[in-house]
Order: sequence, then structure tokens, then C-alpha cells
Amino acid sequence: MLNILLVDDDVEFSDVICHIVEFLGHNINTATSLKEAHQWFENNTFDHVLLDFMLPDGSGLHLLDHLKMIGQSPKVTLISGHPSVKGILADMCEPNVSHLLKPLQREDLELVLNGPKKTVKKAKSAAITHHFDTLIGESAPMQQLYTMIERVAKTNANVMLMGESGVGKEVVAQAIHNASKCEGPLVASNCGALSKELIGSELFGHEKGAFTGAIARKDGVFEQADGGTLFLDEVTEMPIDMQPNLLRVLETKKVTRVGGNRELPVNCRVISATNRSLTDLAQNNILREDIYFRLAVFPIDIPPLRDRKEDIALLAKSFLGQLNDENGTAFAWANEQLKELETYEWPGNVRELRHAIHRAFIMSDPQTSTISLPDNLESPFSRVNTQPEDKQVSAGQTIEEVEKELIHATLDKVQGNKTLAAQMLGISTKTLYNRLNAYGGIGEYK
Amino acid sequence: MASPQQAKPLNELVHDARAPLNRISMNAELIKLVLENDMPKDKALAALDKIIANCQACSDSLQLISESK
Repeated sequence: MLNILLVDDDVEFSDVICHIVEFLGHNINTATSLKEAHQWFENNTFDHVLLDFMLPDGSGLHLLDHLKMIGQSPKVTLISGHPSVKGILADMCEPNVSHLLKPLQREDLELVLNGPKKTVKKAKSAAITHHFDTLIGESAPMQQLYTMIERVAKTNANVMLMGESGVGKEVVAQAIHNASKCEGPLVASNCGALSKELIGSELFGHEKGAFTGAIARKDGVFEQADGGTLFLDEVTEMPIDMQPNLLRVLETKKVTRVGGNRELPVNCRVISATNRSLTDLAQNNILREDIYFRLAVFPIDIPPLRDRKEDIALLAKSFLGQLNDENGTAFAWANEQLKELETYEWPGNVRELRHAIHRAFIMSDPQTSTISLPDNLESPFSRVNTQPEDKQVSAGQTIEEVEKELIHATLDKVQGNKTLAAQMLGISTKTLYNRLNAYGGIGEYK
Repeated sequence: MASPQQAKPLNELVHDARAPLNRISMNAELIKLVLENDMPKDKALAALDKIIANCQACSDSLQLISESK
């Protein structure tokens, strides 16, 4: 906070400047003449003087002489309406004196009072390489991924992206699109989000009057992506009876709008994505084999975040940098915090990391520059996702063991509330107590 | 006979015209601050009144400049 003296004979202007300077967090006093300004300096010191050039009893330059005489050297900003004053000041070679031209702007005032805005953090986040303008990471698995993207981008082969939820499949699709330097757009469509009735219209378009509600002709995503890339997310969630239609488009490279009778040429690369494993696809009849081979001409596995932990710090810095830029803050990571982020498994992958950082950003005190990480990084979903494997029933377990596991899992779910747990298990509370007594586990849930 | 205002040299007349422009500019900045920070609107309304008054003052000053030629 600075102590400022404003010397200007325009009272109305002084009044409004006071409001603005006080809002910027500084103390301000005013003088309307040189005489009043001298009086202020008799018993006070100031960090900064905003000084009008033309005052009723002389020039603002006289105050500069007076300050030298009394041995005070605050920063001085001369305010004048005439550009030639800048030249006079340059001749004076006074390091502490700057100049503002009327009419003033708030940014000018902020600049002379607060100095230029710090851009150190921006430079830091800018130093992180964004491969293909989108991807962050220098680990070995990511280097392999970059090589694959570069190779496939030069061809027009269809790509299937595989990987857990949250690994960044859409970002990789964008990277392939960027690297291929094609002229058309990247059009994304989520096959899992479309109803069975609408998916045909979304993918292939429809003619006016094709069905109730089709009030106008609509281009499908294949047409929209002409000359570019079509990204079909969650392609394995497409109803199996719609898959022959997709296969036909992929094979013939022609599309017919719903309700139409004309075949239109299709000219786009299809990048599809799924979070299901190859075994799942093969065993559970989720995707027809012929479609798989059309879509996965070039399959790419995107590594989960736990397999590239050395990238966590880079990603964390980049996400925090973005939040700082968006909110005008200057939070930074401590090294221990980055190490803590690296110790967690991130079952929700990059998406979970990003959300955890956003949450920590919101919870952090804006008066400090250190971000506050929560004590527990786990999200409820990560717990759910990691637990089922432990809880699976396997051959060789006794009924008693399975029952014990089920009771404990239910009690954990309801935070140890035995009445609620008994209701969920379909037994009486008394039976639950008896079982817990028999297993010797009642102490855990008292 | 010329009025005292008209007897002023041109640079002073320009200075007089620039003063209301300066007040208009700073009052506009104050209104931006009020709106950006959810401050009481009476400050913004007062600043708007001052802008309107200073527009008139600026217009009068420009008139004097044109008459001084």
C-alpha cells in the first residue's frame, strides 16, 4: 500500500482519482496548489506524488525543486494535457519522475503506481511443450505415442484410440488432426450419448420430413467432417443393430441421409475411441469384428497416468498455469506437493488430476501464493473403481468368508450405520450384530 | 468586444476543453470499477451525472475555440 499525494487544482478530477486510487488499495491525500502541497510535506512523507503540470500558483516542476531542497525523493508522476511535457522531462533526466498524458486511463494509473504486472508465472507455464499443440508429457510412453501419431497422421488410415477413462482420448484425436494438417474440421460425436432413434440422424444426417420432427434437412457428422477428421467417442456403446449402417459407410465411403435416396461421398478420417479392453470387445459381442477391423486400422493404446508418473508435475504446472491465467492469480506448486501428486495412483487419470487441481485452486487462500492440496486426493469414483477387484467372489472362498466381506462392504458404504446396513442386507439388526460378534469384527463398527 | 474567455490564447482554450474530457474519462473508469466489483450503484449514477455535465462543458469549450478563430 502506497501513501500518495495528488496535487491538482481540478477538484472534480481529484475526487474521482481518489476513489480509483483507494480502490487500488492505496492511501491518497490531495492538494489544489503548490502552497498546499508544501504544507503536506512539512509533516508527512509520501511514496508517490501525482502532480499536475499547471497549477494556480506555479508549475508542478517547482514542487520537484522544493522536494530536492527538503531532502525528500518520492516517485513523481507529472500529469499534463500536453505531449511536449514528456520531452521536457526527458531533458531533465530525473530517474524518479514519470509522465502521464490527459485524459488518463485506469491502466496508466495502475502502471505508474504498481509497476508492470508480473509475468514470471506465465513464462513458466509457456515453457511446457505442447506436442502437436495439445499433448503434455515427456515420458517414454508419451514419446512412443508421439511417434505413432506422427506416423499415422501422414496416412488417411482410420485410428482407434484405446485407454482408460480420463486418459485424454479426445486430446489425442485433436493431436492426430493437428498433425495431419488436413483442411477440413475436427467433428466430434459421442456415440454413447445418443439414443437409438437419433444416432442414425446424427451420423448420417436426414432429409426434411424423414421422420416426425425432421422439419429441415440436416447434415450428418460424416458430411460435416468433409476433408477433416470425424471423432467417434465411445464407439463401442453404439447399439449393435446400428453397426451395419456404420460399416457400410466405412466400406463404401458413401453415406445416405435418413429418408434420402442419394449416396453422398464421404471424405474424412475416422478416429474412434473406447475405454473397453480388446478382450472385452472380443468376448462380449460389443463391437462387430468387421467394424473393428475397419475402425482399428491403426489402434493406439493411450497410457494411463500411473504409467507415466514423471509427467504428473508437468501436467500439474500446466493446469495451474491455465487457472492462474484465467483468474489473474499467481499460485505455485511446492516441490513436496508435486511429489505428493506423484505418489497417488490417479485411477481417473488426467481428468481426475485436472479436477483435483481445480478443486485445490478454489480452496486455496487468494492472499497467499501457495496452493492448498486436500489431505486426501481420492475421489469417491476412484474408490469405487479400485474396489470391485478386491471384492470379487472367487472359487475356493467359503460362504462364511463371502458373507463377512459383504457385511463389511455394506457397513463401509453406510459409514458403519448398522440399522441401515441391516436394511440393505435384508436381515434384522439383531442378526447383523450376531454375525459381527461371530466374525469378531464388531469393534470396527462401534 | 471579445469576452474574457475569447481573449485567452488558443493553448489555454484547448487546456480548458481537455479538462472536462479528462473528468469524463476518469468517471467512466470509476463506473467500470463499480460494475466489475458489484459496488453500490449510486457511485456509478453520480459518475454518470458528472459525465453528462462534462460533455456539456466540453461542448461549450469547443464552441469558444471555434469562435476565437
